[in-house]
Amino acid sequence: MLEVKGLSAGYAGSEVLHGIDLVVNEHEGVIVLGPNGHGKSTLLRAITGLLRPTAGQVFFNGKEITRWRPDVIAAAGVVHIPQGDLLFPEMTVTENLLMGAFHRPTWGERKERLDRVYELWPWLKDRGGQLTRTLSGGERRMLALGRGLMSKAEILLIDEPSLGLTPLTTQQIYASIQKVKESGIALLLADENANHVAGLADRVYLLETGSLVREGPADTLLKDQALLESYLG
Amino acid sequence: MTLLVQAIWGGVLFGAVYGLMALGLTLVWGAVRFLNLAHGAIFTVGAYAAYWVVSSLNLPILIALPFGVLVAAAFSYLMHLALIRPVLGKPGFDNSTLIATVGISISVSAAAILIFNPEYKVVPAVLPGYFVISGVQITNQGLLVIATSLALFLLVYLFLTYTRQGMAVRAVSQQMEAASLMSIPVERTYGMVIAISGALAGLAGVLLSPFFFLNPNSGFNPMIQALIVTIFGGLGSIRGALVAGFVLGIFESFVEVFYGVAWAQPGVFVLIILMLILRPNGLFGIGEVRRL
Repeated sequence: MLEVKGLSAGYAGSEVLHGIDLVVNEHEGVIVLGPNGHGKSTLLRAITGLLRPTAGQVFFNGKEITRWRPDVIAAAGVVHIPQGDLLFPEMTVTENLLMGAFHRPTWGERKERLDRVYELWPWLKDRGGQLTRTLSGGERRMLALGRGLMSKAEILLIDEPSLGLTPLTTQQIYASIQKVKESGIALLLADENANHVAGLADRVYLLETGSLVREGPADTLLKDQALLESYLG
Repeated sequence: MTLLVQAIWGGVLFGAVYGLMALGLTLVWGAVRFLNLAHGAIFTVGAYAAYWVVSSLNLPILIALPFGVLVAAAFSYLMHLALIRPVLGKPGFDNSTLIATVGISISVSAAAILIFNPEYKVVPAVLPGYFVISGVQITNQGLLVIATSLALFLLVYLFLTYTRQGMAVRAVSQQMEAASLMSIPVERTYGMVIAISGALAGLAGVLLSPFFFLNPNSGFNPMIQALIVTIFGGLGSIRGALVAGFVLGIFESFVEVFYGVAWAQPGVFVLIILMLILRPNGLFGIGEVRRL
């Protein structure tokens, strides 16, 4: 479904990613594990067009999307939930969710899609009129996920869902992501912690200093404590 | 009594005029964060386009009005394509757009002199005629300007609050990157805002020219007034532009009627200086952090 071939990208002349090859199949949960600063966010940003790759290609459902604009990539069904949530601070909770359904064909179904998101997090409905900048960290993360789910995503790219959250909220977030996956949406998750992702992951890639150094099925790779410790510390 | 009616009528009319000009300016600032110093030039373009339809094609002002608005919107959009879009999100965006829009202003007045001539032109009123209330002449065109201004504030507010595209404008202005990840086309949204702002300036140009006559620099004063109103109300705030337009308009009119024309402008500036000392971000300022 999503295929990345020899992707390189970076910022202002310094290359961060060196020739990444990666595949996500339909309904699959793929985790890119790696320590902070090794290029996980850069990888997601290069896939969804926020960052122009310097080399390589990205394919989605057989079509090359490498140099498409971010909004066109999102409209095609590759939806990126960025690090730091990037909500619209002066808009209400409901308005933020609605923006997830901005794409014209999705907009017509916004009511049904809102209901689906409310099933996951009922508080979003009760506090729909609240300004987003007044939400707590955990609430913001849920809203960011909900906003992504308002779209007709075929694959969700989620950047460090647990970043800055308490252990309890982290558990809730991963439980929600689990439900998202069960609904049939493919996942590409960037994470630095192997503990949370066990239930979600079908396959795991290990990313180190901008290169994928290992790839394997989650049930074997995530059990290899010695390997994980050597990479993630 | 006559003086009071005169002050109120003048104030409300000034207020509506200031507000109408400030609305487009504040909309662009709030959404795109660029100070459009060509706003007055676009006002002039709209007015001359309408004048051309009336004088050369001998068509009624009711046809010239939408034509002027369309030309102004198109001009504004072309300006976006040629000068704003190429520098969007690049370092030096503020300086380049500021200088470019001043350049456009100068070019527009020069072009107006070349195409037409420097003489004052008369643009007919959409609603001619007047009536008298306790000795004060109330023009129908003035009433039209007040009604149009209020209606447009309401429309812009409803657009930004309730429509898909309007919400997208706010989304883009608050978090550009996230907006593009929500499949909102950022550049096209900016273009739309700039075109709407241009249409508002053009409409102001056509509706106000019957009061002031039309000349190649017609747009300059209204733009300065709009700039003052926008700063007073808080750059980027729609509500601020509306309230500030009327506060300044009525204040200026009362000073003018009761203390003489000479005190009107200085009075306005004293008021603004006081206000900026008390509230540096303006009446409803959204400051640097908050947006539309």
